[in-house]
Amino acid sequence: MIRVDGLGAHAGDFALQDVSFELQQGAWGIVLGPAGAGKTTLLETIAGVRPVDAGSVTLRNVDVTRTPAEQRGVGIVYQHAFLFPHLSVEANVAYGTRDRAYALEVARRLGVGTLMKRAVGNLSGGERQMVAIARALAPEPDILLLDEPFAAVDPRNRTRLRRELRSMQWEQSLTVLHVTHDFGEAGTLGDLAILLEGGRLLQAARPETLFRRPPSAAAAEFLGAENVFAGMTMPIESPTADELGVMLFRSGTLTLVGVADSRTATHAVIRGEDVVLSVGPTAPSSARNALEGVVAEVVIHGALARVTVDIGEFPLVATVTAGSVSTLRLLPGSRVVATIKATAVHLC
Amino acid sequence: MTASAPSVRTTHRAATTGVVAGSLLLLLLLALPIVALVLRSGLAGLQQLGSDSELRASLWLTAQTATLATLLTVVLGTPLAYLLARERLPGASVVGALLDLPLLLPHPVAGMALLLAFGRASPAGAALGAFGLAVVGSRTGIVLAMLFVAAPLYVSAAREAIARVDERYESVARTLGDSPARAAWRVTRPLAGRGLLAAAVVMWARAVSEFGAIVILVYNPKVASVLSYDRFTSEGLDAALPVAAVLVILALVPLLALRTLRASALSNGPTR
Repeated sequence: MIRVDGLGAHAGDFALQDVSFELQQGAWGIVLGPAGAGKTTLLETIAGVRPVDAGSVTLRNVDVTRTPAEQRGVGIVYQHAFLFPHLSVEANVAYGTRDRAYALEVARRLGVGTLMKRAVGNLSGGERQMVAIARALAPEPDILLLDEPFAAVDPRNRTRLRRELRSMQWEQSLTVLHVTHDFGEAGTLGDLAILLEGGRLLQAARPETLFRRPPSAAAAEFLGAENVFAGMTMPIESPTADELGVMLFRSGTLTLVGVADSRTATHAVIRGEDVVLSVGPTAPSSARNALEGVVAEVVIHGALARVTVDIGEFPLVATVTAGSVSTLRLLPGSRVVATIKATAVHLC
Repeated sequence: MTASAPSVRTTHRAATTGVVAGSLLLLLLLALPIVALVLRSGLAGLQQLGSDSELRASLWLTAQTATLATLLTVVLGTPLAYLLARERLPGASVVGALLDLPLLLPHPVAGMALLLAFGRASPAGAALGAFGLAVVGSRTGIVLAMLFVAAPLYVSAAREAIARVDERYESVARTLGDSPARAAWRVTRPLAGRGLLAAAVVMWARAVSEFGAIVILVYNPKVASVLSYDRFTSEGLDAALPVAAVLVILALVPLLALRTLRASALSNGPTR
């Protein structure tokens, strides 16, 4: 278990301020944020290699704020492996443990068991990273901190490594805090997503909540939301008890019904995959938003397509399957109706 | 109006010629005295090594005291260099200035300052004398003078060598169970090793060549630089030249060692 309360730390001129969240034992937390958000500083502060300026760090229900790194039982893997270049691969993997057999077993499971006699300088980027993970796991920590560990690993090995790590996490009830820029990783691995920006915590929530209901327009754009509109919100004409969070959003000629966390929301966020495109007359449905428009652009990426629809003043991006593009014969100039449920319009 | 291509080429050629000529002039100024000294008296100096017991004793004394000063500095200065490199020392700028100061002092002034601080009349000098470590006219004084003028070079170069080792190597070692000191010893020391050795060689060479501070504190026993000066003042240039030439030839040893160390440090620098 990892809990940080009002955590503050600094790295040079950069300051991490007032960060609080809790990650349950055996959970996989994802840390997201633009460059300079404080992700690495957060990990280093939890590991104990960077001093705490304010707040506290609790691991396994024990306050370790003043506990030295070597007594915290936390493994860390940096984006660059930082393998000790003066030692062999085997000596690297066994650096933090007396149980050499277990260290070699971890290395074998991660697919680097055959590299033990090699010099560190002769490893590929992916091999270095896997050796670094084996080295961090060899002393059997129950908390693992990963700072973009898969960035240098090729896609095939990345999938295998991710699967192997996931299975070791389940077996050993490892608590993992993982910095990544890969939103796919965040969605598939994460139990908790922590979004940082400028050294501050923007949101800590389940990944789907973070992606569906980002705390701000900037967060939404960082998280890859295709449609972010600036405007103003107001209560719908006859609010009922059931529609407390349902608000009307207006931006120029665009009017949307969405769900807001507060009455002062200034942006509407819609993910491309929540936009349904239809050609021809549409049957009545429960969706609160139906916008007529003209297809401006269709870009196909493998099995998916990004369709930009001109809905007056704004372009609306829909993510559909390439099959739908072909079935509906979506071409630039096609007239379409974009349907969006109110719950898919997040007002923030 | 833009310059035409031939005029740009001419300017470029003139600039290149100027740079090359300036570099050659400087190299000539640096090399000429050394080459002249070695050509004139190198052979005689080496032959004199066999017959001149005072010269041999002086060289042996120089090597011993310079080595001792260097070892002392490595032991005391490496932790300081580490703290400075890792910016873990309060008042680091004051410490940095203190370390630079001996480099800026004229060396006889350094000798006078040492005499004032560690001479027989000073409390520190009296205390050292009580332990049989009188500074004036002793080997202790030679070591002290060498240490005073050359230790800042070691600490400065060692600080750079340590700073080149990414601190995250130590962070990883700490999470693997090492205390800060153990991580520095197991990881940073070997990774900075060649740089530290090069720093020690620089210090040793500087200590061997020291004259100004030593001559104020310790005229006898004579280190090589003092012996060469003594022969020059008492017997003239011809008597001093072989001693000076031997010093130059012997200086080539640490110089070549340093070049080799630097080359290998650059080709085997720490990687991620």
